[in-house]
Amino acid sequence: MSAAGRLRDTRSIIVVSGVLVVVVLALPQVLDAFWTRRITLWIPLALAALGLNLLTGYNGQISVGHGALYGVGAYSTALILNEWKWPQLAAIAASAVICFVAGVAVGLPALRIKGLYLALVTLAVATLFPQVLEQFSGTTGGSAGLAITNQEMNRRGVLADRAIRVEAPTWTGLADDQWAYYVFLAVAALCFLVVRNLVRSRVGRSMIAIRDNEVAAEVSGVNVAIVKVLTFGVSAALAGVGGAIFAILQARVSSGSFTLVASLYFLVAVVVGGSASIAGPAIGAVAIGLFQDVVTPALPESVTPWDLNAKAATPLILGTMLILLMLAAPGGIVGSARQLRARLAVRAQRPADGPIPTPTTGGTP
Amino acid sequence: MSELLQYVFIGLGNGAVYAMVGLGLVVIYRSTGLLNFAQGELAMFATFGVWTLHEAGLPIWLALLGGMAIGFAIGAIVHQVVVRPVGDPHQKPLAVVIVTIGLFLGFNALAQLIWGTNEKEFATLFGNSEVDVLGTLVDWQKLGALGILAAEALVFWVIFQKTKVGLGMRAVASNPESSALVGIPVTRILMIGWGLAVSVGAVAGAVWAPTPGLSSNLMQLPLIYGFAAITLGGFDSFVGAVVGGLFVGVLTDVVPRYVDAFEKMTLAPAFLVILVVLLVRPQGIFGRKVVSRV
Amino acid sequence: MKRTPMRHGAATLAVALLALSACGRDADTKSTDTGDDGDTTSTESGGGFIDPAQDCSDYDGTAGITGDTIKIGTVRPASGPYAIYDTVTKGLEALVTATNSKGGVKAGDGKTYKLELVKGDDGYDPARTPAEVERLVDQEKVFAIVGEIGTSNNLAVRQTLNDKCIPSIGLATGSTEWGKAKEYPWFIGGLPSYATEAHHLMEWLKKEKPAAKIALLYQDDDFGKAYQASIETSIEGSDITVVAEESFNPLTETSPESKVAALSASGADVFFVGIGGSPCPAAVKAVPANWTPLTLVSVTCTGKLAMALAGGKDEGLVAVQATYDPGTAADQSNPKIKAFFDEGGAAGLSQGDLEGGIAAAGWGFGSMFVKGLELTDTVDRASLMNALWQLDGVNYGLMLDDAKASTKGGDDPWVIEDLRIVKRQAGSWNEIAPLTSYDGTSNDFAG
Repeated sequence: MSAAGRLRDTRSIIVVSGVLVVVVLALPQVLDAFWTRRITLWIPLALAALGLNLLTGYNGQISVGHGALYGVGAYSTALILNEWKWPQLAAIAASAVICFVAGVAVGLPALRIKGLYLALVTLAVATLFPQVLEQFSGTTGGSAGLAITNQEMNRRGVLADRAIRVEAPTWTGLADDQWAYYVFLAVAALCFLVVRNLVRSRVGRSMIAIRDNEVAAEVSGVNVAIVKVLTFGVSAALAGVGGAIFAILQARVSSGSFTLVASLYFLVAVVVGGSASIAGPAIGAVAIGLFQDVVTPALPESVTPWDLNAKAATPLILGTMLILLMLAAPGGIVGSARQLRARLAVRAQRPADGPIPTPTTGGTP
Repeated sequence: MSELLQYVFIGLGNGAVYAMVGLGLVVIYRSTGLLNFAQGELAMFATFGVWTLHEAGLPIWLALLGGMAIGFAIGAIVHQVVVRPVGDPHQKPLAVVIVTIGLFLGFNALAQLIWGTNEKEFATLFGNSEVDVLGTLVDWQKLGALGILAAEALVFWVIFQKTKVGLGMRAVASNPESSALVGIPVTRILMIGWGLAVSVGAVAGAVWAPTPGLSSNLMQLPLIYGFAAITLGGFDSFVGAVVGGLFVGVLTDVVPRYVDAFEKMTLAPAFLVILVVLLVRPQGIFGRKVVSRV
Repeated sequence: MKRTPMRHGAATLAVALLALSACGRDADTKSTDTGDDGDTTSTESGGGFIDPAQDCSDYDGTAGITGDTIKIGTVRPASGPYAIYDTVTKGLEALVTATNSKGGVKAGDGKTYKLELVKGDDGYDPARTPAEVERLVDQEKVFAIVGEIGTSNNLAVRQTLNDKCIPSIGLATGSTEWGKAKEYPWFIGGLPSYATEAHHLMEWLKKEKPAAKIALLYQDDDFGKAYQASIETSIEGSDITVVAEESFNPLTETSPESKVAALSASGADVFFVGIGGSPCPAAVKAVPANWTPLTLVSVTCTGKLAMALAGGKDEGLVAVQATYDPGTAADQSNPKIKAFFDEGGAAGLSQGDLEGGIAAAGWGFGSMFVKGLELTDTVDRASLMNALWQLDGVNYGLMLDDAKASTKGGDDPWVIEDLRIVKRQAGSWNEIAPLTSYDGTSNDFAG
């Protein structure tokens, strides 16, 4: 691409990103409390997908156990907040550390076990996690779940357990739901930034080299063992931050939320958004969020004339959409966008085939 | 002693089902090179075929044959219409995994839409009676399941070792492009592979369904145990699937009875064994080591 | 792949028992019975258990009432592994349709109201329940939540709904959590407490088999553990012992067979099956031929569906009931069941759903709400709750004719506490011990 083309490209990226940032920041001002709470819950999903993407997209290790690591983050936060009453952000940070350690532990076998076999080790983790929660139900609350509470004076003046909230400081002038959105968005933005810098660093290049050809990477001096385990740890830490935010927003954790199905949804978010891209997981999370919060409730209970129960068909619709998307765009949304841009660029370079570039945008020499 | 024997038989009976699920997974892995998350749901769907034929008046064994045929057709069609167009799983592993997840969701919902959500009573292939084996009462159903499993293993061995189709499948698995060049009908071979997988799934479903009753949830847990079985045995080994399935079955039904720590974590012993085996032999007990080229 | 279907579905059966709406109308007036405990009216704060002025911040007592229509909401799994519970909601919906086609509910204020039901779908994932409930409350502006399914699902919204002062009536769960009306006065359960059920079986056992040796199989969650705890408390001081105990986790274990085998070797003469869903009949079926215990099953495991899966081994099972069983021939001649069949069938329930027991449960949850409306003098949220918090020996839904529902706010928060023992004989549940009332004591068995 020519320098002018690149400049134009950079400029349009800046414009698009600028618009996006404004939209994302404006959302809680435009949406009511109900919808603000809905989109706030997309943030933990995006973070879990971000972590999984680092592992799967950039490092080539497939995990179907991130639901469990997400759960470790959620339960860590719940216990820390209940037992020690730490500030919420501190609990999130601590959960990230705990999940990093858990991720390294899960990742250790990866030194020897590779590819799909490794995926099945993570499947084991996903399957065992609810059993472990039940085994220690005295601490975790088992299937009934664990409420995250504080002792507060209720309206009758009795000290009682009350579910925690995210409270907006008065100086902000924001409602609680708006404040929660901005705080957790900031946490997520920080995580995305960290990942972006990580994959562009030497370590990140090593990750990608291992994904593309492990033997070649090793030969060229990459410490495969350390990079793989480290990636597992960071990936788990990100999922843990997601789980922690999820726990705080729900003020409650229960084993039903951290099943294999959750793990599969993370994988879906990664691939639908576009693996091995920074924006992919966020886009994938938004896509899943839109499906769950907008499309699903809008489906009619029954479709005449066949009296078809459209609600019961929800997974069928989702499944069909996934298959169609993979047929049309196996690279996910980001992959398709990249392809589209490449095609446009090619066209711009060959004026004979495409529209004639106008002088103001520079055109092609 | 007789108690232990009883647990072992229960484990073998359940393990036979996991092994059958595993056989289906192995067929697909060998022919297409992917882990089929939809294997359980496709099997469940074909099992509903068996049930429907039986309800329509066919004797259960005939209904089973019919269900296997339906399963074969479903497998072949799914491969042709959905899996093949996505592309080579070696090139796009994630896209193909997502497609199998899509199939998983879709077939589960489709079964609910067609047959409803209530569990259906499912006739046993071998009746409800028990037989005395070495002083322990064992359901005929369990012995029958083991017999079916043995027959299946034999059939698979014959197909893969002794027939042209099997030869073709092995060629396709190791190198689809050159197989096509030497005139092997790759597409047809792959369709047969998927058809066989769902067919054997129908048998697994029909053997399993009398225990929990037939519903769209039928194969979700057996699928996980089936994955455990082939991880242990090796993704590409039929012997591995059979041995792995039986082993996982026995382990989950025997060990927690004697080791308190596993009382509530019944899956843990199986997973621990898998982990140890994989650390020693990353390709599973019977699996072939894949040589990676630089 | 999570909790077993039918745990509450079966519960639905239990629920069915309580459902009665159609017939309760004539028998429920406060004067008809002189129950030993129902005569005093609780007057905690200012006339009722709930005082909105004191308990609620932004209280809107009549939200959801437009003209003569009251909008109610419910949440259930409409798709996925737990979609079987949708049948509960079909029963609730049938009750709403049937009520409207009879002209509506004649409330205590003299006016007649039609009902409108709005449904949410949480897929039985408690993490999705808050979104659905908020949609019903904030967007749809429902007056009350009725018959919401699942223990952890209801728990996931308890604080929110309690804070907002939205009635949650006829919850489709029997968890002991619903005994905490003092903390959460806007929640009222629709099933008997699981603990009371187990307690009643133990009381009956003390008479029938005073030296019983129990082999206990319980579900590894709050539902099964409620049975376990209640059994432990209830047999204290008696000669009954639990000689062996196994837990079963339906989320990760394929079959309870090896656990049943282990229990069969314990020398127990009573087998308590404290699990629900299809694993329950599977456990009954797995009892080996050389073990012939008296088998007690959870009320969630008494429906026609469950019995059909027991492989012919359902004969002789013993369970607790609080409502009539639409799948039992003897009960089908009861006017309540007849009305349920006629009106429910007209409202669109299939014969299978009518007899299966699950839809009957939803019918019962709706009936509790209708009963509350009939009893309240003023139709607003707090008055409705206060009416339900001072039930005085009423009978509604498909409740056994002699059963009485009495409550007294936080001191007696359980509606259904009159239970009988039934035995499975030739495909029917027959009463073998008459109704016993545990009125006001359900919280004592929670362990």
